Amino acid sequence: MQISVNGENRVIGDDVDPKTPLLWVLRDHLGLVGTKYGCGIAQCGACTVHVDGKPVRSCQLTVDNVGNRAVTTIEAIGKTPNGAKIQAAWIDIEVPQCGYCQAGQIMSAAALLSRTPNPDDADIDAAMAGNICRCGTYIRIRQAIKNAAKSV
Amino acid sequence: MRRIGIAIAVVGVIALGFAAWLVLIPAPMAFANGSTVVLSNYTGANPTGVPQELAEADPLKRGEYLAHAADCIACHTAPGAEPYAGGAAFNLPMIGTMYSTNITPDKETGIGNYTDEQFLDALHKGMRRDGARLYPAMSYTSYTYMTDADALAIKAYLFSLPAVHAPPKENRLAWPFSQRGLVAVWNLFYKADERFRPNPSQSVEWNRGAYLAEAMGHCGECHTPRNVAYALDHRRKFAGALTAGWRAYNISADKASGLGEWTDVDLATYLSTGHADGHGGSTGPMGEATDNSLTFLTPGDIRALVVYLRSVPSRQTDLPRRVDVPAPASYREGATAQLDPRGAIVFASACASCHDWTGVSPTSKYATLTGVRAVNDPSATNVAQTVINGVTRKTAEGLIFMPAFGDGYSDADIAAVSNYVTARFGAEGGHLTEKDIVSLRKLAAQQ
Repeated sequence: MQISVNGENRVIGDDVDPKTPLLWVLRDHLGLVGTKYGCGIAQCGACTVHVDGKPVRSCQLTVDNVGNRAVTTIEAIGKTPNGAKIQAAWIDIEVPQCGYCQAGQIMSAAALLSRTPNPDDADIDAAMAGNICRCGTYIRIRQAIKNAAKSV
Repeated sequence: MRRIGIAIAVVGVIALGFAAWLVLIPAPMAFANGSTVVLSNYTGANPTGVPQELAEADPLKRGEYLAHAADCIACHTAPGAEPYAGGAAFNLPMIGTMYSTNITPDKETGIGNYTDEQFLDALHKGMRRDGARLYPAMSYTSYTYMTDADALAIKAYLFSLPAVHAPPKENRLAWPFSQRGLVAVWNLFYKADERFRPNPSQSVEWNRGAYLAEAMGHCGECHTPRNVAYALDHRRKFAGALTAGWRAYNISADKASGLGEWTDVDLATYLSTGHADGHGGSTGPMGEATDNSLTFLTPGDIRALVVYLRSVPSRQTDLPRRVDVPAPASYREGATAQLDPRGAIVFASACASCHDWTGVSPTSKYATLTGVRAVNDPSATNVAQTVINGVTRKTAEGLIFMPAFGDGYSDADIAAVSNYVTARFGAEGGHLTEKDIVSLRKLAAQQ
């Protein structure tokens, strides 16, 4: 089968079980290791990618359910305007500690900005509650999102 | 003196009337027009046994099919334990907890010493080999309609399985329910001990569906409400009941609260795969029923079941009509203003990732909440149980999985999120409290 990842058509070999979660297809078969595995049950958000612009936990989306929707990963999010703003804001106030959750955080944050260009605290709570950070960078994440929203 | 005499007579008549109402319940298939005949006098195609496709199959394969249809494995298997070795818990309010027994052919702890006669007595009359009465949790009130040949085919299949040494767990029943002898009294009124009688006024397919639903699948044992004597009240056949802590929903023909708005295709798909788009999937005890039993039935048998189900008269209950449009995309919108904000917080962190604020899942159609009966149930019982216990269903399409949140979330959290989900995605929000969750956990417990 074929899926569209970061603007390219990628071929998935017959050796890949169609029920494989997209996360493992990205990491093990397509060499895109920026998306992380944290829990495998959609409770941590580390595996977040975009499917047609919407944030989706790739540990739950089986590759046969992707269809012809466009998948975007952390490797390419910087090429989108909101993705670039988020990444710049992240670097500017040094959001990451260990960095493991941050790919997922950035993907969720970029999707939030697309939906809600000027998010308030409640918007941020609702959109980011599913992304957890063991190092506790939440305060900086929140501030970075607000900074990104204000930036041009 | 005379007035006292009249008063006593009046009370006596009322008491007799109540007793009669309690006891004189119509038979499970009495709702259908026409009268029944003995099976040997029925001229239509045989509604019992295996379907046409398996008529030439070897006896053990036929026995296996019938064992699936009767779904023995669901009750006679404890979670994580050997199939058919018993140990599943039945928690009955006010009565206590009883456990299913080992029906592998083990001679010490199973049914290895049962003769054919004794096996038939167990299935048809609820009589144990040593003469003791089985509690009607063993559905002999339904299996009684099974033919001897079918029952013995199931016995042959069970005896072909490996013997598992698994002694029965001790029942923990409150007095007087701990006295098995009392079941003999209950049996006087409620044990039928009769074989299936086809109804020539109905179609061949209807009769096959009736045999599958009543003698085999015993749908009514969960889906028909029970009276105060804990017997099935067929006057409200298939109107729904709370069974083992889960709601077995109204499957009568009622449009809003029953199956009236399901298409035949949806119904057949739901029964044979455990899921239908726009209606959701089976979970809890019905998940076991579809995965262990219904999914093994032939398409012809499924069709027959649908024909029979459709014929059961409409019983209106207080279940509201399902909402079949998605919820708004923004968490700010939707019928959530009055709710405990804790529900929305739990949903945002644990649920929105798979179920989405709209209820239309971006990851899997099995996670879509729109139109699901459990979500459109103001008691929120099944939503709470699903959150507590998770979902593990093995279907032909693969594994359907939702994590169990019962150990990770408090009773208050689970109550709040169940109320939130039913309010946001369903017809009417629930009002579960912490105490309700404690009670629901106990009812569905397997310890």
